[in-house]
Amino acid sequence: MPSRGISAALSLRGLSKAYGSTLAVDRLDLDVPRGSFFGLVGPNGAGKTTTLSMATGLLRPDAGTAHVLGHDVWSDTVHAKQLVGILPDGLRLFDRLTGLQLICYSGLLRGMDRTVVTGRAHELLGALGLAEAGGTLVVDYSAGMTKKISLACALIHAPRLLVLDEPFEAVDPISASTIRQILEGYAASGGTVILSSHVMDLVQRLCDRVAIVAAGQIRAVGTLDEVRAGMTLEERFVQLVGGQTDVGEALAWLRTSSD
Amino acid sequence: MVAHIVRLKWQLLRNGLRRSTPQLVGLTLSALYGLGVLAQGMAGLIALRFALPSDVARIAITIGGSAVTLGWALLPVVAYGIDETLDPARFATFAIPRRQLVLGLLLSSLVSVPAAVTTILALATVITWSRSVLAVLVAPLAAVLAVLTCVALSRVTSTAFSAMSRNRRGKEVVSLLVLVTAVGVGVASSSIIKSLSAPGLLAHVADVLGWTPLGLAWSAPADIVDGAIGSGLLRLLLAVVFLIFALLAWDFLLRGALESPRATSGARAASRRTGLGWFSWLPATPTGAVAARSITSWRRDPRYVSSVALMLLLPLGLLVSPLTGGGSAWSLAMAPAAGFLLGWSTHNDIAYDGTAFWGHVATGVSGRADRIGRLAPTAMAGAVLLPAYATLASALTGRWGLWPAMFGIGLGFLLTGFGVASVMSALKPYPVPGPGENPFGAPPGSSALTVVIQAVAGAAVFVLNLPLLGFGVGALLGHVWMGWLSLGLAVVLGSGALALGTWWGARIYERRAPELLADLARIR
Repeated sequence: MPSRGISAALSLRGLSKAYGSTLAVDRLDLDVPRGSFFGLVGPNGAGKTTTLSMATGLLRPDAGTAHVLGHDVWSDTVHAKQLVGILPDGLRLFDRLTGLQLICYSGLLRGMDRTVVTGRAHELLGALGLAEAGGTLVVDYSAGMTKKISLACALIHAPRLLVLDEPFEAVDPISASTIRQILEGYAASGGTVILSSHVMDLVQRLCDRVAIVAAGQIRAVGTLDEVRAGMTLEERFVQLVGGQTDVGEALAWLRTSSD
Repeated sequence: MVAHIVRLKWQLLRNGLRRSTPQLVGLTLSALYGLGVLAQGMAGLIALRFALPSDVARIAITIGGSAVTLGWALLPVVAYGIDETLDPARFATFAIPRRQLVLGLLLSSLVSVPAAVTTILALATVITWSRSVLAVLVAPLAAVLAVLTCVALSRVTSTAFSAMSRNRRGKEVVSLLVLVTAVGVGVASSSIIKSLSAPGLLAHVADVLGWTPLGLAWSAPADIVDGAIGSGLLRLLLAVVFLIFALLAWDFLLRGALESPRATSGARAASRRTGLGWFSWLPATPTGAVAARSITSWRRDPRYVSSVALMLLLPLGLLVSPLTGGGSAWSLAMAPAAGFLLGWSTHNDIAYDGTAFWGHVATGVSGRADRIGRLAPTAMAGAVLLPAYATLASALTGRWGLWPAMFGIGLGFLLTGFGVASVMSALKPYPVPGPGENPFGAPPGSSALTVVIQAVAGAAVFVLNLPLLGFGVGALLGHVWMGWLSLGLAVVLGSGALALGTWWGARIYERRAPELLADLARIR
């Protein structure tokens, strides 16, 4: 199905990954149309990070394929990787570099020209409100600044597809709104964004397409309204994923008024 | 509570082994090595029981025991492999009375191969001293005291060092202390070797050591055997006092570690840097970028700084003998030693990246660029140090004819080391301290594995250079032309090994980059 592979910015087929006896991702299929702003939501341990890592070439799947704009991530690696910008969650950065150096490093590793890289890096620092911090070591950055500098690294080569794992985790409202503006501008100009998040409100506000993942499989996928089915995203999420425990009379000892 | 902590250590060790087979292999090998040491030590100690003048046993055990104690005290300074399974800072959030914590951590340090070997050997001295009933009663007590002193001293040093290396200033102090220790050990061992020939001197050394904290417990039973009961008991008493003193010192240091457990990056003295630094000086290619990043990390990350300090100091240690009036012959080994140490030092370079390595995977940087770029810092150091050391040694010995041989062997070691390191670091990373952690610490239970892998890397480099060494020896014996031959051979053989190593390493890298990242995520 090459035609389908090209119409989709990201196309996953039968993607599987097991850690020991635990199945993290279970024959997952997903298409992210070009130009969409796609939200991937799911409970902790649903396999979001594993899926995104396999889709971007960071983690080799046990089975299945991933295509970025028609290029197989695991056989046409070089082309696929040129088209993607990644912001992973829970991985370190080369934090002994200054912010400016780190952005330039990402560009130079991709074989870009030094003048182009430096020009873009300064622009990105300015847009992200990090102009002052460009000369500070990344190790001395706050969590929000670190997210923003990672985003800059993902953007430096003007990718066609942005894959962001929890881009708003530990980010203060002001930085979050900066990141949001940049992403919205990027999507409006034809770029494709796929992001994972726990924050339903944010996904609801930002994304035009959503997929709900649980236990390594897609439970619902489509436009925001299709998935919501008349409810809020959060209600629909709880309904699909289930597993909410009724606290009821448990933990009675925790209620200090019971003395 | 004390029992809990000891059980925790045991549990951590077992769980660690369950998670990784290489670690199990490492522990097995270190246990086998320990058994070898144990067998030899036991045989020696039993033989000493029958040594005719009982003085021989006194001298051997006092000096040997003091050396072992000193080794325990210094190990955390010099070796990266010290086991920090139970980092005191991790107990900061639990309200454990400090006295119990001290006791628990002390006893839990006994759960390791080196501690087991030391304990068994110390207890075996009971056999050596079984020359009188009273001695048999006192010897086990002295043995326990000696072992506890060893462990307590090593904890004092490691706690002091991790406390000191918490801020940038402290890290400089630590580096300085490492320097002083290295030179001190060098001076001491060279003067001891010199004095070995002087008769009666060993007995004198043993006498002095026997009254220092290092040798008190070890020499106490000797006095009892000789009938000097008063002095023997005095030594025991002093040993107890010293042990208590060491524990108090440790307790004091622990209080610091527990009260400010998190490493703070100083007073945010984040000095601002402008411009791109090395990124603007090196070629704007992926290889150049990797090189610039490596050099920047080597300069700013204390984990590299401390390994650089060791690599510089070890060859300089060879200068101790000439400077203290001994023979200058040792200085001839400086350039080869520097080449050897620098060459394969990057054999685990990827592990120091930690999961930041994802940046290389995500950008699809070529294996060649990654392999070659990572060699930049050591290549730069080698380009300066090898000619400098060879020239220094020539000047000291006056044997300028040996310059090509020294430089050649150093170059051969350096280049083949690069080849070996390029392949090894693409194969499998092994655990190292994370960024910002104590550079002298090692992740739980990894020390045995580290030793095995480093032995393999070192041996590979050494074997590859045997022909060079042969010519070097020839040059040393007066055939100066052989020195030129070894230099020529170093260029040919070394660049061959470098080309082959980076090519092969690049192939492995390109096949395994995602697996390397998965390994890095697991060992962190």
